[in-house]
Amino acid sequence: MVSYIKSNKMKHKSIHKELIFYLDNELPNERRIIVEKHLEGCADCRSFLVFIQESMQVIVKEKNPEASPFFFTRLSARLEEKPEYQAQGQWVRLAQPVFFSILLTIGIYGGLQLGSNASSEKMNQATLSSVQLLNDFESEPIESFLLDEL
Amino acid sequence: MDESQLITGIQQGDRKAFQILVETYQRMVVNTCLAIVHNKADAEDLAQDVFLEIFRTAGNFRGDSKISTWLYRIATNRSLNFIRNNKRKRFFQSIEETFTGGRNRANEISENNGDQPDRNITDQQRSDLLHRAIDRLPEKQRAAFTLNKYEELPYQQIAEIMEISLASVESLIHRAKKNLQEQLLDCYKKKCV
Repeated sequence: MVSYIKSNKMKHKSIHKELIFYLDNELPNERRIIVEKHLEGCADCRSFLVFIQESMQVIVKEKNPEASPFFFTRLSARLEEKPEYQAQGQWVRLAQPVFFSILLTIGIYGGLQLGSNASSEKMNQATLSSVQLLNDFESEPIESFLLDEL
Repeated sequence: MDESQLITGIQQGDRKAFQILVETYQRMVVNTCLAIVHNKADAEDLAQDVFLEIFRTAGNFRGDSKISTWLYRIATNRSLNFIRNNKRKRFFQSIEETFTGGRNRANEISENNGDQPDRNITDQQRSDLLHRAIDRLPEKQRAAFTLNKYEELPYQQIAEIMEISLASVESLIHRAKKNLQEQLLDCYKKKCV
């Protein structure tokens, strides 16, 4: 019984895989006869066949849409517009990378300048001379502080 | 006017020749774009882009293939690019939605459904299901499948459009159907329609 159910399930699976080709008459004659025989006795496979058929009908319904009457009028209008737009597009396409390259160069140069100023020796010396280093131990040694406490 | 005269005319900037070309192939190009993007307004915009490209690059057309093959190629590539850009946009939108509480997405969905208000809900659901399944296909499978199913093109012409071998087209369409069938089966089991 179990083996019968298993073999039947396998048959369903293999038939399901072939139904789309069956609909398009792409199965070899032998195989087509097997599928047709199976379909006669299998309601589930028949139902799936109808499901595929109806789904593929969408293509038939969508084929050959009505032609828009203003198609060429709109196309002509676009044909007139396009060169101007294209010329503008080319200008933008050229100007954009140039602008960003200049911006990037200025940024890098500015960064380098800032960096070199910050790390220059002159700057270090100037900074050091202007800062009064505070030495707590010199002004108030810890030993004298502890002695005072005593 | 035959194809070579049309192309020569367009190469010389003849608007009349261009109009004839547009009127001859408009439906075909819109249909190809629509099969991939699933929205009529977007498909028409893309079709216009395709014709503009044809008008501007007609000088590059060597005449090795038919005009229709050239048009199909541009339409397919543009539509796939559009989907790719849309995915990117949606990714940024989803980030934005986390801050705006999803108001923008709700507007977009209601706009899309407004395309065909007379369609009943099951039709709409079925259509959405198939579109989602097609959208999940890898790009090459999607292109080959839509050209074959929506435009009913033979494998040989699809091979020329996609600039691949006939065997590759066969394999792509076979895999596309297998993938679609798996997705439909999954939905059938979950009773999603």
